[in-house]
Amino acid sequence: MAFCTGCSLLCDDIVVDLDGGKIGKTMNLCRKGHAHYSSISSGRLTPSVDGSEVGVEDAMMAAAEVLAGADNPLLFGWGGSTLEAQRAGVDLAKKLGGAIDDPSSYSQGLITEKIIAGDLPTCTLDDVRNFADVSIYWGDDPSSSHPRHMSRFSYFPRGEKRQRGYEEDREAIVIDVRKSPTAQIAADGFFKITPGGDGAFIEALVASLAGKIPKVEDKKRMLNLGTKLRKAKFGAIFTGQGLAHSLRGDLSGFVSLVGKLSEITRFSVIPTLGDYNTRGFNQTLFDETGHVNSVTFKDGVRHGQEFSIARLLDSCDAVMVVGSDPAAALPAAIAKKLAKAVTVAIGSHRNMTTDFAKVSVPMAVAGIEAGGSCLRTDGVRVEFDGLVGSDHLSDVDIIKRIMEAV
Amino acid sequence: MAGGKELTVITFRGIFQEVEEARGMYSDGYRDQSAVVALDGGDMKEMGVEAGHPVHLETASGDVVVAAKLSEEAHPGVAFMPASPWSAQLLSGEVGEDGFLELKMFTVRASSGGGRVTSIEEIEAVIRAP
Amino acid sequence: MISVMEVYQLLPKTNCKRCGLPTCMAFAVALISREKTIEDCTPLLEEAKYEKKLAGLRELLAPILSADATETGMVIHPEKCYGCGNCVVACPVNVASDPKGTAIGRGPVSGKAILMVEDGVVKCVNVDECRRFGPEKVLCNACIATCPSKAIEFI
Ligand code: SF4
Ligand code: SF4
Ligand code: SF4
Ligand code: SF4
Repeated sequence: MAFCTGCSLLCDDIVVDLDGGKIGKTMNLCRKGHAHYSSISSGRLTPSVDGSEVGVEDAMMAAAEVLAGADNPLLFGWGGSTLEAQRAGVDLAKKLGGAIDDPSSYSQGLITEKIIAGDLPTCTLDDVRNFADVSIYWGDDPSSSHPRHMSRFSYFPRGEKRQRGYEEDREAIVIDVRKSPTAQIAADGFFKITPGGDGAFIEALVASLAGKIPKVEDKKRMLNLGTKLRKAKFGAIFTGQGLAHSLRGDLSGFVSLVGKLSEITRFSVIPTLGDYNTRGFNQTLFDETGHVNSVTFKDGVRHGQEFSIARLLDSCDAVMVVGSDPAAALPAAIAKKLAKAVTVAIGSHRNMTTDFAKVSVPMAVAGIEAGGSCLRTDGVRVEFDGLVGSDHLSDVDIIKRIMEAV
Repeated sequence: MAGGKELTVITFRGIFQEVEEARGMYSDGYRDQSAVVALDGGDMKEMGVEAGHPVHLETASGDVVVAAKLSEEAHPGVAFMPASPWSAQLLSGEVGEDGFLELKMFTVRASSGGGRVTSIEEIEAVIRAP
Repeated sequence: MISVMEVYQLLPKTNCKRCGLPTCMAFAVALISREKTIEDCTPLLEEAKYEKKLAGLRELLAPILSADATETGMVIHPEKCYGCGNCVVACPVNVASDPKGTAIGRGPVSGKAILMVEDGVVKCVNVDECRRFGPEKVLCNACIATCPSKAIEFI
């Protein structure tokens, strides 16, 4: 069995025909996973310095030189790296006295931090499959982003206490601003909210749980939802970007809603994280510093939004991006700063960030060309071997080599 | 440009965009999946835009031309756009007082036309420009 | 679903009986149930004035005529499929025949599953096991109701 690092579900039941060391027919990979597997043969990054192609060793030495010469380096990315590379990355940041951050600082970092710190109850996706009778997808569209979420864990499979199939045994609730593919499946379980209306929805739901009349248009439907959640035996809430952004970093209402639900019955929160090992990075940094992102090791350990990529690009003098493409995801004004910064990009494929980088170092695709370990979106540890040979170095080998040289 | 219709844009991710991104973001396929805006039918009529035609989107931060798509749902005043380098050109990049960087929701002026759909190379050139 | 009326509108509507059926309407029904093929309506093929209708009919019936249409009338649109496996895991035949695989959300292990995901898209094998097939067929729709993208339909 092979693994898929196409998303943070890390499917482990993949069957791959290897003909002559090449990927042939695959079974069980979703469309996104299949594209991820196919991608190893196209669009790969080549080693370069200042736009000229060089050997990998030279590229790594140039990267080390950039970092060694910087006063305030930022090491960014990491969701697309193995736990081993993340560990080495934290060590490198410490050695350099630099900052380290990942895309969770502009995504679901706060939710993940509360889960890791124990302020929000959680469980594994296997628990969800075995026990959950209510699955709430909040600002979250796993059908598009994590295509096998519903079939492997959260809605369709049979499990220990869920033997009768989704129609009788499970309920899917989707709270979103648009009728996403996931909402399509939930059908009557879809609650459409206005953009930014998550906070109001939380308030209404809290009122309904307390038996009060919620201040929404369809009071009956909200009361029914409250009753449904009260009666749940094992509820799971899957959070997405949509919720994180709508709440704008103020999770107090959400935390208290989950607290109220937990007083009544069992409810757990599992974030649906993008990159395959975002959870791994957040955990690794938390174990080291007590924070999941935006940390600097300059003058001790400090944490705060001022050390997130969105703010730090104003003051840092070198950026190393590993397995990520912030230039494509961040607002143009911030991407401009990134394009001007002296950047080292380590990645498997060409992207906007590598296009802007002074130094590019190509890496193997973990899970296909290199082994390693990582944490699934629910925190479960997964280990895998490489499947096919590759000329590319693994991410951990690259980081370690650079660290030796600085 | 002062004209055009004001719309609230919300970004999302679709599977076919993810698939094209895995294949490489410099492909036509990735652009076709990313450089689009899903509009409400009534809004399209009002703006005189047809499905597949170019729409010019502009904010104080930047502008792009993307292809119009007709939404199956009605959502007047709201438009949906895949999160991509195209939508990123329209974001302000300012961190709010609450310390939050807005990436999902913003207001644009949208109008019919604008010529060809912006290419990723053009976006890179804008970002590189001093 | 393709309606009989839609098909009928694209026929010559002359009731000439050359297809071996009494009316064009009967022929439309036979086309949908795949008892007849477009080629059986000779006027439509031979007379130039029906050219547009013929093209329209071929387009309308393309899903039925494609090689993907299995004997149950299941049509898979691979270009729409997410490969999410919802249909694979929800299909009652898969659940019954593959308790350690598809029934619990994983890829098939028993060799008896009728729906599976290959190269990122769904594939139907052993179609004669489908509940919609054979004399005791039932109107199962688990694989359609669970699909996020209408990639499976029955015609
Ligand atoms: S759901 Fe995610 S991990 Fe599983 S096959 Fe698809 S992309 Fe890969
Ligand atoms: S051959 Fe064609 S035109 Fe004649 S009855 Fe049959 S369907 Fe109608
Ligand atoms: S109709 Fe029912 S039995 Fe047939 S493939 Fe679909 S889900 Fe399975
Ligand atoms: S046919 Fe539909 S439910 Fe089945 S794998 Fe494809 S997208 Fe998923």
